[in-house]
This record gives sequence, C-alpha cells and structure tokens, in this order.
Amino acid sequence: MIIVETSIGNRHKVKISLVDSVDYKALNKERYFFDWKEEQNFEVYKLCIVDSSDILGLISLERIPNEWRVHIRLLTVSFENQGKKKIYDNIAGNLIAYAAKIAVADYAELACISLRPKTEIAKHYIDKYNMILTGLTLSIEVPGLLNLINLFDHD
Amino acid sequence: MTNKKNIKDSEFGLDSRYKSKEEYKSEATALMEARLKRMKNLSKDQIIRAKLMQLKLNMEAFIKQPIYNNRNYFSEFLESYVDTIYSKRSFFAKDISITPAKLSQVINNHREPRDEFIMKLMIHSEKVYENICEFHKKTWYQVYFHEKICDTMSSQEEWRPKIERHVKFSESIEK
Repeated sequence: MIIVETSIGNRHKVKISLVDSVDYKALNKERYFFDWKEEQNFEVYKLCIVDSSDILGLISLERIPNEWRVHIRLLTVSFENQGKKKIYDNIAGNLIAYAAKIAVADYAELACISLRPKTEIAKHYIDKYNMILTGLTLSIEVPGLLNLINLFDHD
Repeated sequence: MTNKKNIKDSEFGLDSRYKSKEEYKSEATALMEARLKRMKNLSKDQIIRAKLMQLKLNMEAFIKQPIYNNRNYFSEFLESYVDTIYSKRSFFAKDISITPAKLSQVINNHREPRDEFIMKLMIHSEKVYENICEFHKKTWYQVYFHEKICDTMSSQEEWRPKIERHVKFSESIEK
C-alpha cells in the first residue's frame, strides 16, 4: 500500500497494523481528532510509513459476523494530512481498503464494510469510494469491495 | 493546532459510531434487506472473484505469522483454490498435467507436493489471478515452506531427542 507526498509526488510504502497499548499516549485529540483511548476495546489500526513510527492515520473497526459486515466506527488522518495543504494523500483510502480486506478475508462474496457519517460528509464517501447509501448508513459490497482493494492494495 | 472543524475535511475526524442500540438495529435491518436484494444479482463470476480474493488474503495472512497447530494449510488452500475454480478436481488435474489420484493425494495429505507440482500451481495461479488482483508468484512456495518451518519448530519435542543423538560438535570455538 502506498501514500503519495503531495508536494513532490514521491510514493511511500505504508504499513497498517494494530495500535499498541503504548501508542495511545501519543494519540491526542489535537492531532488525531478523537479520544482514541475510548476505542481500546475495539480493533484500532494505525497507518505508518514503512520504517517510521509516526502515525499518519487511524481507523477503529467492529466486526459484525452475523451480518458479514465490518463497520468503520472512527476514522481520521493526522491533522497535517487534512485539507488542501495535506502532506500525504491516500491515507484514509488505504485505511478503508484495509477494512475492505478484513471483510473479504472473513466473508468473501458476502462481505460488506459500512460507515454512518454525518449527512454533510456522506457525499464525499459516495463520490470518492463509490459507497451506497441505505438509510443513514453507507456501504460497499462485492464487487465494489474488490475494486476498492485493487485500487489501493499494491506496492 | 485545533480540532475545531472550521477547516472542513471529511477524512479528519469521521465519527461513524451508532448513537444507540435502537439506531443500530434499525440501520442494520434496513442495510441487510438492501444487501440481500443486491446479493441476488451477483454473478457466478463475481462470486468466484471474491472467493479467490479471500483465498489470496488468507494465504498472505498465514505467511505473515507463526502458526503452531495441526492444520494442513497448504493442502487446505489448494483444496479451496481448486474447488472455487473447477466443478471437478479432475479438470484441474488435467490442466496441470497430473493424474487426479496424485492431486487427491496432495489435497488429502497423503503425498508431499513435489517441486514441479508447486511450479505448475504457481503458473496456473498467475493466469487465474491475472484479471482479479495482484498475486505474487512466491505465494504458494511461501505457504508451503512457512508451514514446514512452523511444523518443525512446534514439534521439536517429538523429533529432537531422536535426531539430537546423531548430532555432535567436535570442534571448539573460543569464547
């Protein structure tokens, strides 16, 4: 998986792994928007450039096996990677694709990832990731999930 | 720095948690109904692609971590691969020019896969995965040898006493 340095176009390999208990000390609201300690009972993953320990993005997931679904509870890029002046692009995309990989690995053709954003930002996820709106919930299923994985899962 | 969202970015601070059990239930029910309708429209080809993607992801996950148990991962993955693509295992055997009996023995752990078998499997997978997703040619070999390493390391109590009797170190190395 790759993120792109927006200023010069350099590509960097990234690693997505479970957040360690020691990481939570550094996950402050200013840089990562939420109090991530509240998510310690869920699967929380961090995205870092390979060979770096600096966390550039975070995602909290809940597996819902009886619905063949992985629900994205929280997602954020780090403060400096938001907006027009972001340093790296594709952080959120890679994290969402990682959730898609978990869903497909567990549930194959039945897999689904979902999120429930506020109305004003739903359009962003529909436009950028081809998510489908049902009620207040956005989702991606097969075959869209496979396309999403293929879009991000390469070196 | 501030977390006030006056600088609006949809990927900085997405809170997607359900606010209550009732909200979760109602959303989950509606979503499942809609998904079941869409699932009915999945083609056979789309289902096979999803299963093959699942297999690839599970193989990659297996390679990444030491697993100590009695499962036969190589043959399980092989069985899943063949059964996903072919209606009869003998068709796969024919495609890689081996007898159905040999294939059956490998799948059922009555025979170790020979080098040539894994090479053929590697080439077959390249063709199958070409239009599905990235599939590294090393994958089948990695699965096979990773399983060997894990098995050997985890069964030392069984093999070590017998083997150790035949291993001596007659030279000396100064500390």
